[in-house]
Amino acid sequence: MKTHPPIDDAFAEYEELSRPQGAQSATTRPAESATPPAPAPQPKPGEFKHIGKVTPRVDGRMVVTGAARYTHDLAFDNMLFGRILRSPHACADIVAIDLSAAQALPGVKAALKLKEDRIRWAGEPIAAVAAVSERRAEEALALIKVEYKPLPHVTAPDKAMETGAPLVQDQGNVIKSNEAARGDVEKGFKEADLVLERTYKTSWEVHQPTETHGSVARWDGDDLTVWDSTQAVQSVRDGLARALAIPAGRIKILKHYMGGGFGSKLGLGDYTVTAAKLAKEAGRPVKIVLTRRENSTCVGYRPTAWMTVKAGAKKDGTLTALSVKSYNCGGVGRGDRVAAPYSDMYACPHFKIEEYAVFVNACASRATRAPGHTQATLGLEGMMEELAAALGMDPLAFRMKNFAAKDKGGTGIPYSTKGLEQCYKLGAEKIGWERRNKKPGAGSGKIRTGIGMASQIWPGTGAPGTLADVKLYPDGTVEVDCGTQDIGTGTRTHIAVVAAETLGLEPKDVVVHLGNSDLPWAPSSGGSMTTPSVAPAVRDAALKAAEYLKNLASKKLGLPPEEIVLEKHKAASKADPTKAVELKELARGIPRPLPFHGERSDYPSTFAFQTFGVQFAEVEVDTETGKVKVKRVVAVHDVGRVINLQTAESQVVGGVTQGMSAALFEEKLMDPDTGTMVNPNLHDYKIATAMDIPEIVPLFADVVDERLNNLGTKGLGEPARIPASACIANAVYNALGTHVREIPMTPARVLAALKRKEARP
Amino acid sequence: MKPFQFGTPKSLAQVTASLAGADADVRVMGGGTDLLAEIKEGLIEPDVVVNLKALPGLAYVRRDADGLAVGACTTVADLAEEASVAKDYRLLQQAASVIASPQLRNMGTVGGNLCQRPRCWYYRDAATVCSKKGGSQCFAEKGRNKYHAVFGGGLCWSVYPSDLAPALIALEAKVVLVSPQGERTVPLADFYAPPIVNVRRENVLARGELVKEIRVPAPKPGDRGAYIKFMERGAWDFAVVSAAARLTLSGGSIAEARIVCGGVAPVPWRLKAAEDALRGRTVTESAAAQAAARAAADARPLAENGYKVDIFKAVVARAVLAAAKP
Repeated sequence: MKTHPPIDDAFAEYEELSRPQGAQSATTRPAESATPPAPAPQPKPGEFKHIGKVTPRVDGRMVVTGAARYTHDLAFDNMLFGRILRSPHACADIVAIDLSAAQALPGVKAALKLKEDRIRWAGEPIAAVAAVSERRAEEALALIKVEYKPLPHVTAPDKAMETGAPLVQDQGNVIKSNEAARGDVEKGFKEADLVLERTYKTSWEVHQPTETHGSVARWDGDDLTVWDSTQAVQSVRDGLARALAIPAGRIKILKHYMGGGFGSKLGLGDYTVTAAKLAKEAGRPVKIVLTRRENSTCVGYRPTAWMTVKAGAKKDGTLTALSVKSYNCGGVGRGDRVAAPYSDMYACPHFKIEEYAVFVNACASRATRAPGHTQATLGLEGMMEELAAALGMDPLAFRMKNFAAKDKGGTGIPYSTKGLEQCYKLGAEKIGWERRNKKPGAGSGKIRTGIGMASQIWPGTGAPGTLADVKLYPDGTVEVDCGTQDIGTGTRTHIAVVAAETLGLEPKDVVVHLGNSDLPWAPSSGGSMTTPSVAPAVRDAALKAAEYLKNLASKKLGLPPEEIVLEKHKAASKADPTKAVELKELARGIPRPLPFHGERSDYPSTFAFQTFGVQFAEVEVDTETGKVKVKRVVAVHDVGRVINLQTAESQVVGGVTQGMSAALFEEKLMDPDTGTMVNPNLHDYKIATAMDIPEIVPLFADVVDERLNNLGTKGLGEPARIPASACIANAVYNALGTHVREIPMTPARVLAALKRKEARP
Repeated sequence: MKPFQFGTPKSLAQVTASLAGADADVRVMGGGTDLLAEIKEGLIEPDVVVNLKALPGLAYVRRDADGLAVGACTTVADLAEEASVAKDYRLLQQAASVIASPQLRNMGTVGGNLCQRPRCWYYRDAATVCSKKGGSQCFAEKGRNKYHAVFGGGLCWSVYPSDLAPALIALEAKVVLVSPQGERTVPLADFYAPPIVNVRRENVLARGELVKEIRVPAPKPGDRGAYIKFMERGAWDFAVVSAAARLTLSGGSIAEARIVCGGVAPVPWRLKAAEDALRGRTVTESAAAQAAARAAADARPLAENGYKVDIFKAVVARAVLAAAKP
């Protein structure tokens, strides 16, 4: 009997980022990391000229004028085009693959078999070719003969859970994937005056980055360069070294500009390995870019969570018990785990969660902007809203009643900082919380309005051990080298901001090198880790460079170094700014380009570190058609110190938009008979258009976490997304008096919820 | 995608001759917004694509005493922006301005909009050979069908998505068809044919024939109209349900009503039951709701599209009420 891996291989790549439950991470921190440098002194408020202010993207002009080159734009002499033949069956054994006719086609320069045993999802790679043109490659695919023995499949989680369902994995279609508890929930439910149980569901949400996945591979002798559309140049190199069994030092991964990833480009892609192998065989560069259909069907999505949530509270609003059972479906992968927000968001003495992975014949899910937390927040915050209504309490007051000052409810470790109360106050005032329906569904008429909220928790602490170099050149210019990548979030700009701030320059003066795996190590851009990893490392390096410059200036100016500041391209006396020397002048004393090595330091384990936030949504619901229109979202986040206000606000606008789109539109739909996706394009897979996007108001709490790193900054990418769908669902509840409890809240689901209300008034 | 020849024609006669003759698969293209998608998805593999827009004299909107004449190659955007259309044919202007997106309205033509292929994700998937593509079954009937037909299904449950067609049928428009044999004029209502006539096609165009012009009669005294399109999102979406309502009002009551829906059936769907229910009544919310409910009684929803009937009732009633407004 053939054996196949019990869990999709791809899953391991995302395991770490999918599980941000612990404050610290084993794999994102290099084991050989040196002793962390001592934290640098914190600047005083008002001391910063660029940090926390608005800096336009340093590469914005290149991006909007089309000058920025993306992986899709690349072409090299002699470059071939690779295409991948994919399984039309959701489950089948491959009996035979015959490449000969494809290989014989003129213009085909390489062909590979990629799979010779069992196919477990429609779209699984079978074989690949490289040819002189895309059309020729496509023609060659049609000539590959594959004999399949089709087997029964199942693509719906509820069907997969039935006895007698086709087995997706050898160990069964349902396995326990997580359990956790504190206290005694049965005791807690006995103490409650009120207990509610509700089931909340999320759907398969596809990342759909504007730029589909793709790689260009080129060999120069034994050395391999890959231009890759990736969130992770470092881990793609390491993965490729293993996959090809060549030294990691022979591989260079480049990612200069990026058209989005959202978690689907966090590890090595099978298409990348395929491009490298085809390029080796052909002796020519090979480019593979996925089609939109492949992007929709073959590179993951957010797994579903079907969460049955039971909560008990006393009449005064004190939570006594919370228990959750969640079935998470990520195709042939294990899906996410949703436990953390349920466990940590509120101070509830008795807590229990059981999670199960449900396997179906679809490609494995991948980390998707706040894996697990996003799904959990729909259920947890939905329950908080429904429970508040049942208790007759203001949902915000109910949340404050159960505010957790310490980590994980029961661990007793205090949060280093927690600005959530400040977020609540700012947001409630801005949205006009008093305007909500005091009793959900209290309005009348065909069009109902509602206001809802949802809270957010996520680590966003960054990776200790992240490295960056600041290089001073004899011409007085400054370069920053960091092996991170800008996935469209503005990393280039924030690096320039931090270096410019520290060295008395303007952001535009700083030359930033990133997106190259040969540069000093930085983590994958996922898990909201980039800013809190990279900015402190850059700051550390820049402070060392600044110290060096001040020492040089000290001799020139005859002042002690501590009497000198760097500002306006000068080293100047603090007391008398007229006593100054231009940095360019100073740099003449530098014998050669001087690198200063910076490292992101560790943080103490005696404190807990998380980001927090809240979003408030105002909606209009058409009760005759079930259409939801989001009018306004106020998003307030505590992410420590904001580095660049402009890109921070952009992150929030993007996160809210994505969450709104998932709340109302996005759903990967499978045909049960063919086992294929019926909407693998951007027309039938609906994403919000400009016409659907509401007014979005981003605000930030004024909190700096001095213990976390030398800038007191945390990540924001995921926090912005986490509460967005949930706050809209809660606003719809506030409008209708019945919670839809499943996203996307399509007209069909909203109308069904309204009928449910009529049936049980 | 198979390579094809891109033809730039010299005359309409040359186009119809090439359509009628030879064994080659020849397709005419207006804006290409649907045709090129069909080619890219591998649904069709034409040998020749004829660019109809290259021919002069097919893009015009003329208003005279007889009514409106619209050239087949007029872009949807031009139709929507034409002042005489806005003035005398409000429902047509409303329909034209909610199609797809500005970019697609700038490319798409009126003739192309009327001749576009239906929406169904099984039909649009090259790997699925459904009844519309010569296969033996409709995959939507027992498959995923949230956007599918609630009226006129059976052999095929696709929906006809055109926004212009319901509006123009409500306005009693005719289409001028041209072929090597000459011209003929057909009421647009008869231009479309349900699956029972020929499941593989949606209209009665003969081989060698194409749409040259659309003629809309002059409005009658008391004519009012409105087009309501229900989309899931705010732009670039086909109608889940759309309704074109034209009321001829006389002395405060409805002398004549024509209501035609899009997105609910394999062809534009006229609601004769609702029209009958409205005739002779004054326009009130209850009259509109009753007429919509009467029409909805014929609906045959599938497992996942029952909600469309609720939306249908709301949209039809709203279109009637909107039509009555000055």
